[in-house]
Amino acid sequence: MFDQQLANGIFLGAVYALFAVGYTLIFGVLDILNLAHSAIFMASSFVALALVGHGMPFWAAFLAATAFGGVLSVVLDRVAFAPLRARGVGGGALGPLISSIAFGIIVVSVVRGIFGPDEVGYPAGAVVSANLHIGHATFTAIDLSVLVISLLMMIMLSLLLKATSLGRAIRAVAENTKAASLLGIDVERTIGLTFLIAGALGAAAGILIGAQFNAVGILMGQRIELKGLAVIILGGMGSIPGAVLGGFLLGLLEVFSVAYLSSSYRDAIAFAVMFLILIVRPAGLLGKRAARTA
Amino acid sequence: MRNITRVLIATAALGGTLAAATGAGLAASHPDLKWTAIFDATGPAGAYGTSQKNATELAQADIDAGKIDAGGQKISIDVQDSATSPAQVINIMQSAFGNGTSLIIGPTLSSEAFKSDPLAVKANVPVLGVSNTASGIPAMGPCVFRNSLSEAQIVPDVIEAAKKAWHVKTAAIIYGDDDQFTKADYTIFNAVLPKSGVKVVDVETFHKGDVDFKAQLTKIKEAKPDVVVYGALYAEGAKLLAQARQVGLNAHEIGGNGFNSPQIIALAGKAAQNVIVGAAWYSGAETNGNAAFVKNYTAKYAKSPDQFAAQAYAGVQIAAAAVKKSHPGDAAGMCSALKELGTVQTVIGSFKFASTRDADAHGFVVQIKNGTFAKFED
Repeated sequence: MFDQQLANGIFLGAVYALFAVGYTLIFGVLDILNLAHSAIFMASSFVALALVGHGMPFWAAFLAATAFGGVLSVVLDRVAFAPLRARGVGGGALGPLISSIAFGIIVVSVVRGIFGPDEVGYPAGAVVSANLHIGHATFTAIDLSVLVISLLMMIMLSLLLKATSLGRAIRAVAENTKAASLLGIDVERTIGLTFLIAGALGAAAGILIGAQFNAVGILMGQRIELKGLAVIILGGMGSIPGAVLGGFLLGLLEVFSVAYLSSSYRDAIAFAVMFLILIVRPAGLLGKRAARTA
Repeated sequence: MRNITRVLIATAALGGTLAAATGAGLAASHPDLKWTAIFDATGPAGAYGTSQKNATELAQADIDAGKIDAGGQKISIDVQDSATSPAQVINIMQSAFGNGTSLIIGPTLSSEAFKSDPLAVKANVPVLGVSNTASGIPAMGPCVFRNSLSEAQIVPDVIEAAKKAWHVKTAAIIYGDDDQFTKADYTIFNAVLPKSGVKVVDVETFHKGDVDFKAQLTKIKEAKPDVVVYGALYAEGAKLLAQARQVGLNAHEIGGNGFNSPQIIALAGKAAQNVIVGAAWYSGAETNGNAAFVKNYTAKYAKSPDQFAAQAYAGVQIAAAAVKKSHPGDAAGMCSALKELGTVQTVIGSFKFASTRDADAHGFVVQIKNGTFAKFED
């Protein structure tokens, strides 16, 4: 049973990590919680499903819907955050938080109006879901894809932030928008590109998780949002490797709580352990915010 | 003289007004009866509530067209969406009391009924539950009725059928522990299985909205039960079935009341094959008017009705039959009319209320076969 439960924990962790990577990127740059991230995650999943329903292969629908998520995220920035930035309402204020909630609610309402309230699945055969085995553990090809893609996203995003001019611009904006502007960085463009990347990451997560569980529904974003938030706090707000580490840790904590303790207390046990970790490391496992703020 | 003329004219005008008012009063000696249907057309229980909403609107059209006989009484049903929120159910109900409703139909979930029905009891407005299956619903008040069979009425038949067909000796139960609807599945199955000689070897739980159940299912697999019982709404239920296959769990399967939805088949696909469910209705049931109901519903909404639709439609049939028999004019009259109602032929079969205001009717044991619910041939 241990092999299977270990695999269960790693693959569940990959789901949380995948959701959390884009979530934490916005926080790292703008110092705001983007609560519309879950709505983009959900809406993109519906777009991919609709495209597959119209005969598009899954991989093409994945790319198209990921692009849709990126664009929707830029719209989110222009509508919900940019006007507040222009008025000097910055990170840490409640205005952007509420604004993102409002945008999220609008997206959810529109998607519900178009696709209806029912949870729906992909047509049979649209997504490859062959069973794979390692030792005594069984998992599906799409479980493995989610794991590989979440790790790839973490590596690529980390490289982008460290080794490219865009990454340097994003980090400069994250540190201080005024200083970045004085250095000649186009702050608004950098923020827009950050939203594009974060939205595309959220969209990719939504599409893959929708396919993994063969269930695309209005509430799929809300269901994972709270755990995604816990994961990015545990990993360290704004830290990309931290989000991935936090995701795997939460997945393993949940699964082993069920396997060796009680499924009724799964969340209580997992969150109690996270609480203890945060007492020891208040900035999260890989968080550096306290140092930066100081 | 001019004053006398004015008085005469005023008296004549007043008389005319009174006559007109009296005439209008005579015409309205049977004013429209207002009923309020409260269903979760959106939110997590949206698939069930949408079926109920559709069926109630179809029933309203059938009352207007005389296909459901209410003895000529005009009835207007206000169908409201409670969005799977007990607070919204309460808000809608309180507005309905102020608008003179004489019957509440719904709400969708037992968990909502336990919070809202006591308000209707206090306001002396009868409630007809058409999908509440938890124990204790009609016991909330003297005018709380239901036409949905409780789990306690259906589960023993399901277990007997499973024992006969599959010779089951051990069972595991997995259920949602944060919902009255799915928790009722656990309570009833956990009580009835041992009485039927089936040992419960593992009990696992999950929460509404969970998507990954592989940890619980792996644990159940280790316990090697002959049958797994699922107490889940369709969204979690479909994932449970698919993931049970993924972890190699090969036991027989029984679904609780939440599995009574075509959505479970649509989402789980082949993974739903052979699951058995206790149901108050299935589309092939040879009950009075059922074939026409299935045909009309499918034509109107481009999808097949489910048990929730059938019970909601039957609820209106039952209440309309009560109106035809007793001609109630208000909520108190409606409560008496439902109490005095004898046997009615509905789409869910021959129906009457027990003295406890529960449904006195029989269910069916159905099995998911090739993408549809069919009678379980044990």
